[in-house]
Amino acid sequence: MTIPLLLFIALAVLLVLLLAWAAAPPKTAPLTPDEAFAALSQERHYARLPQILQSLREDDTEFMRARGHVKLLAQVREERKRIALRYLDYLQEEFRILVECSRILATLAPELAPKGEFERFQQNLRFLWTCHYLRWRLRLGMEPWDAFGTLSDMAGTMTLRLEAATARLAERSFSATDGR
Amino acid sequence: MVGPPHFRDLVWSVTFLLKLTLLFFIFRQRVYRVHPVFSAYVLFTVLQTALTASSLWRWGAQSAEYFGVAWGAQAVVLGARWLAVGEIARRAFAGYPGIRRLSTTVLYTVGMLIVIYSIALSPDRWDWALLHAVRAVELCIAIFVVTMLLFARYYRLALTGLERQLAIGFCLFSCSWVVTNSIFQSPRHPTGIWFEFFQILAFLATLLVWINAVRKPVQVPQPVSSAVLSPGMYGELSQQLDTRLRELNDRLSHLLHSKDSHP
Repeated sequence: MTIPLLLFIALAVLLVLLLAWAAAPPKTAPLTPDEAFAALSQERHYARLPQILQSLREDDTEFMRARGHVKLLAQVREERKRIALRYLDYLQEEFRILVECSRILATLAPELAPKGEFERFQQNLRFLWTCHYLRWRLRLGMEPWDAFGTLSDMAGTMTLRLEAATARLAERSFSATDGR
Repeated sequence: MVGPPHFRDLVWSVTFLLKLTLLFFIFRQRVYRVHPVFSAYVLFTVLQTALTASSLWRWGAQSAEYFGVAWGAQAVVLGARWLAVGEIARRAFAGYPGIRRLSTTVLYTVGMLIVIYSIALSPDRWDWALLHAVRAVELCIAIFVVTMLLFARYYRLALTGLERQLAIGFCLFSCSWVVTNSIFQSPRHPTGIWFEFFQILAFLATLLVWINAVRKPVQVPQPVSSAVLSPGMYGELSQQLDTRLRELNDRLSHLLHSKDSHP
């Protein structure tokens, strides 16, 4: 069997695998335009994260080690991991809703910009990959606490900006579809 | 040809019966109203079997006449298959003008690339040129179907069960064709018997998938919203979403590239 022939066979097998994935019904039902924009306008749980994350800073727990409360320290670290994972869940959920919105927009658009769509697809892949990677890092005990601390400073302003953009987005989209 | 004559006849008879069953359901469930090209394709395959079998009995498997009739009929059926796949894509993307335009560009580009890939990788044997050409076309059909389904999944388009199963059948058959064709061209291919046997087996499986699809009443697809955004509005909303997606990705990157500090 020559290499070109093997490549043909491998391509056909790959196509069958892709077919099985693409033809399977999606795990989550797609959001309707109303649901997607309503979900965007809802208050996000992680809006309260600045306070939660502040309590997760490294220096907040260092005193336990100094005082010999090793068991308690381990417990607190475990809690941190749980909270960090939950935070990732919220990020992922928000990302999913944004992607759903972009898909809804695409179904309504008379023409799509291939470059923009491709970039969004890349963003989607990058986000999903990073999210899974971070989750495993956290599970393996490689918690990026410093970054969480930095995020606590970012989250407040970010949330406000996101909420404002969402409200504008939903309002304009509804007026666009109603006007037809 | 497929082994001993009685076994070959049996396989052909079963295939023929299944094709007739499929045709029966197509007319009973009035699938031809929704998928006229697919219905015509099935009709062509029935005619192909009848024509090929009669020419085989009349002229024999090694005759030039049989070769001409068999490959001629195959070309017609292959063309009809392409059109039937195009019909599924047209129905899948109907009501989504933006996605339809983008997917058309992507699907045809991918198709062209596959043809180039097939030509580049095909060995330089002119006696197999016909097989190479058919393999390239079959690979194109398979890629076309998979890309179409990936598009539908990515944009969450509502495909009916019928369209989905028809597409699956086309892709499976084309993939099996590519595999068996490639095995046949290998220096140590099993023999022509197996080559044709696997192809017929794949077609039998495809027929069963299609019969399963068309025996149920045809689903009327949900009416797609006729609301269409203006290009300017789409661009603006799209940009806002992109900014937000990027911000979330950047936020995640901060986590990823942060310095580890183990307890």
